[in-house]
Amino acid sequence: MLSRTHFIYISACVAAFSPSCLLSFSVAAMQVTEAFKHAFLKQMLLGFQASAVSTNSMGFQERKNAIKLSADVAMAVARGSRKWTRGLIAGLSEEQQNRSFLQLILGEQYERRLMKPCYSSWKIPRCRKIVRRSLRVCCRRQKKKKNQSGVLARTLVEKRTQQLKRLVPGGESMDGFSLLDETLDYVLSLRAQVDLMQSLLTTVESSKLRSHSKRTLPERKASYVGK
Amino acid sequence: MEPRGSSGVGSGNSGTYTPEIAESLRFEEEIQSLIDPSFDASSAAGGSFTALLGLPANQAVELLHHPGPGEPPASAATDTLRLPFGCSSTFVERAARFSVFATDDSPASSSGGGLSPGLKAEPPDSDSPPTLPAPAGKPRRPSKRKECEKSKVSRRPRWGFLSRKAVAKKSKSAEENTSAAKPAAEENTSGDKLPYVHVRARRGQATDSHSLAERARREKINARMKLLQELVPGCSKITGTALVLDEIINHVQSLQRQVEFLSMKLAAVNPRIDFSGLDHILSAECGPLAVASGCGGGASDPAMWASDTAASTGGIRRMPAPPQIWHLDVVHPQQSSTVWENNGVAHPHFLLSPATSLVGYDPASSVPLNSNRLKTEL
Repeated sequence: MLSRTHFIYISACVAAFSPSCLLSFSVAAMQVTEAFKHAFLKQMLLGFQASAVSTNSMGFQERKNAIKLSADVAMAVARGSRKWTRGLIAGLSEEQQNRSFLQLILGEQYERRLMKPCYSSWKIPRCRKIVRRSLRVCCRRQKKKKNQSGVLARTLVEKRTQQLKRLVPGGESMDGFSLLDETLDYVLSLRAQVDLMQSLLTTVESSKLRSHSKRTLPERKASYVGK
Repeated sequence: MEPRGSSGVGSGNSGTYTPEIAESLRFEEEIQSLIDPSFDASSAAGGSFTALLGLPANQAVELLHHPGPGEPPASAATDTLRLPFGCSSTFVERAARFSVFATDDSPASSSGGGLSPGLKAEPPDSDSPPTLPAPAGKPRRPSKRKECEKSKVSRRPRWGFLSRKAVAKKSKSAEENTSAAKPAAEENTSGDKLPYVHVRARRGQATDSHSLAERARREKINARMKLLQELVPGCSKITGTALVLDEIINHVQSLQRQVEFLSMKLAAVNPRIDFSGLDHILSAECGPLAVASGCGGGASDPAMWASDTAASTGGIRRMPAPPQIWHLDVVHPQQSSTVWENNGVAHPHFLLSPATSLVGYDPASSVPLNSNRLKTEL
């Protein structure tokens, strides 16, 4: 009953997917494993199915958002439990419309994941801000004259760090070191996501071309019309 | 432990090693070579590393802790994560521990035993060894030299090994503290999971507790920055934290934009593909997915599809409805127009066969949705 097109579909996805990840594999061998890719792909397709993107009742924007949503959720789920994954899911569930989808996909894990980052997400930055403010006050009292270039470099780095914190999901509640750590992880996962979606796209398009070229067979037409 | 060829760590010799250890060792070696260009990974590190693997733990560490000539001044000259000798000593130490872990030798068996649950408990895709320094802020100074203690087993070991290396093994020639090479060797081989980290100050640098902690923290951050630099293309030539961060930000933004774009393209293509059947296929066929896309030509097998059509009536019912709806649906101009043309011929073999699998296997969650949509279409 299962069509071979689907096998080829998925297998082409994975086959096309694996060589492109070898580069990241050599640099950070721990992350982009076969299991991760499989879990990612499977979760993404589950997500597509759950949000029913293949039916036509959605507009284009809706479909695009649904695809992106399921891709992001798949990435977070496949990666496991990291700070950025928790931040990502928390960020996605901010919007009401995503919640039903998330509930569907994650099931009972969803509530658990929601509860987790709440604790750390606002307390730590607040404490850190307080500490920093007091430090700044102390420094200002102690030394009036500062190293100009040092200050400039530091503020540049500060600005960049703030920007990076906005980019990486869940980044606000991380300190400098774990921010870099999570960025590393996040970049690898993003790369994997891009590769996966790219290969999915090419497979879909190529199979579309193939089915397009096959449409001239007459007996199939007759069988369709007959029924 | 059988000695390995100098071609590399864990390339083919995983007889007693689990694959994770082999990968982690290879990864460490690569990171080592990335961080320290003077450290010739291909020959020297491999040679020394694998040669020292043959020795039992004590001898290996003691061998390394008799400092080589000219090593400390060289390391003192560079401020960054440059520990040509020190790093390899930690490598060997870890390798020694791994070898112990693999072969169950006695001298460091406690540490090996302590390591093995940590190692086995890790998820398969985290390969770094399970030790991590205490966070930089902790007051470690009284314990640094006085006791013979080791770094603790970490909770979160993924990237931690680098910082542990940086922190734990700065070779020190100024003998301010009482620890000599001997107790250092003892420290390294004895003890397993004590919560203090040894940070040794480099020559000519302050051994103030604050500055040591600062330096440890800075070196951790520098190690991460180096990793990120290697990861982001075109970043290795840039010096300076702000510029590197700039590049990283650009890279992340571009990746996110790519995801947007690809999801847009997938949305444009999507109406032809019914993803509901694929879940079943994935769950059933996760194993033999090594089928090359080259045999996609064989996929268009008329016999296969003929059998499919025989089994499905619901799929055929769906068939006339969609093309009309697609014509009405004004979506993405240039790409989707071709999609419509293809569909106008009304030969969604693709749609038909997914529909058969939909009929054949209905996951509970998708049944209500799809049945509703079927009703609305018809």
